[in-house]
Amino acid sequence: MLIDWRSDLARDGHRVFISGLPIAMHCHHYNINLHKTLEDTLREGGVQLLYKAAEEASFIGFQSFLNQYDRIKTIKSKLELAATIYQNCGLGIIHFKKVGPHGGEIVSLSSHHVTGWLAKHGRRKTPGCHFARGWIAGVMAVIYDRQLGYYTVEEQACKMMRSNECIFRVMEN
Amino acid sequence: MAIDGIKIIHAVMEGSLIRDRKGIIPLFGVYLSLFFVQYYNRLSFDFEKKMGKGREDEAEALLIEAAQECGYATFHGIRNSWEWDEIVGPMIENKEDQILGFTAVAVAFGWGDLEVKELIAKEKLVIQVSDSYEATGYIKRHGSANSGKCYMLRGVAGAFMDLLYGDDYPDGLFAFSAEEPLCRVKGDPYCEFIAQRSSY
Repeated sequence: MLIDWRSDLARDGHRVFISGLPIAMHCHHYNINLHKTLEDTLREGGVQLLYKAAEEASFIGFQSFLNQYDRIKTIKSKLELAATIYQNCGLGIIHFKKVGPHGGEIVSLSSHHVTGWLAKHGRRKTPGCHFARGWIAGVMAVIYDRQLGYYTVEEQACKMMRSNECIFRVMEN
Repeated sequence: MAIDGIKIIHAVMEGSLIRDRKGIIPLFGVYLSLFFVQYYNRLSFDFEKKMGKGREDEAEALLIEAAQECGYATFHGIRNSWEWDEIVGPMIENKEDQILGFTAVAVAFGWGDLEVKELIAKEKLVIQVSDSYEATGYIKRHGSANSGKCYMLRGVAGAFMDLLYGDDYPDGLFAFSAEEPLCRVKGDPYCEFIAQRSSY
């Protein structure tokens, strides 16, 4: 086990923290309602906001994790840690299949946002994992010691469109 | 029996450690995620900013509506879950106790230190929060404001009343609506939410 999740997920009265940073528990109804409200109202601006907000939060959050677990030094173990955190946060399953400092391919077989979107709205016509794209961009920048915004992540296949898996392509900007 | 918030917090913390084989946390009848409040605050407050001047009211209404719909579906699911039956159900003595159960779950979720100050059956709910993550996040990132910024909690306060005194689910949504007359972003000592029957 790379981490001690029971101590990473901590409470101080009404406040909840992961790795010392405040978190909230929200269900798929809220996450998907926010997603749809932003996308329907601002179109591409809303998509960008979902991506950038997830990227920034995962960048800061993952940095905090690595500061805490300073024995985790190799790229392989950092990628493993990222996938573990994603799963522990109830966000889904993610596989860093072929990644390196210049980018790569990441596959997700299931996720909170896919399950939530399909439960509430059914099949989409366009890829919809904006949160996951931003989350990946943030952790990749930390893992390869790059600044926030260094990577761009595109979704090439999406389970919200009834593909078998979500496939993300990571590229340098 | 009074609502035991500590017991509910314990159940949520333990339940949030359990994930299914898809990496999803099914708890209290919903799929739960754990993520940094910074993300949620940026979505709300940057959305408001991106809507631009003159559309602040529209942005506010959309965010509150999204939260109220969510709160209505979420707490309907929670109220009908086996966890509710097993953990909260035995603490419920009358209909109004459900609101105390809902707020205890919201506290457990890390939304703030919600405290029910007044509840008049079918009419009015007053909730005070001295540490809402929305107000804390707004102050940290943007400083003060002239109007309340706790859109999620405002929607949720309305949803609590919808579930108790609105028509049967799913027809009771928006029977109530909440105002936030006091908010820490305006310099008030706490945020206050007052839910009453909708005027429309």
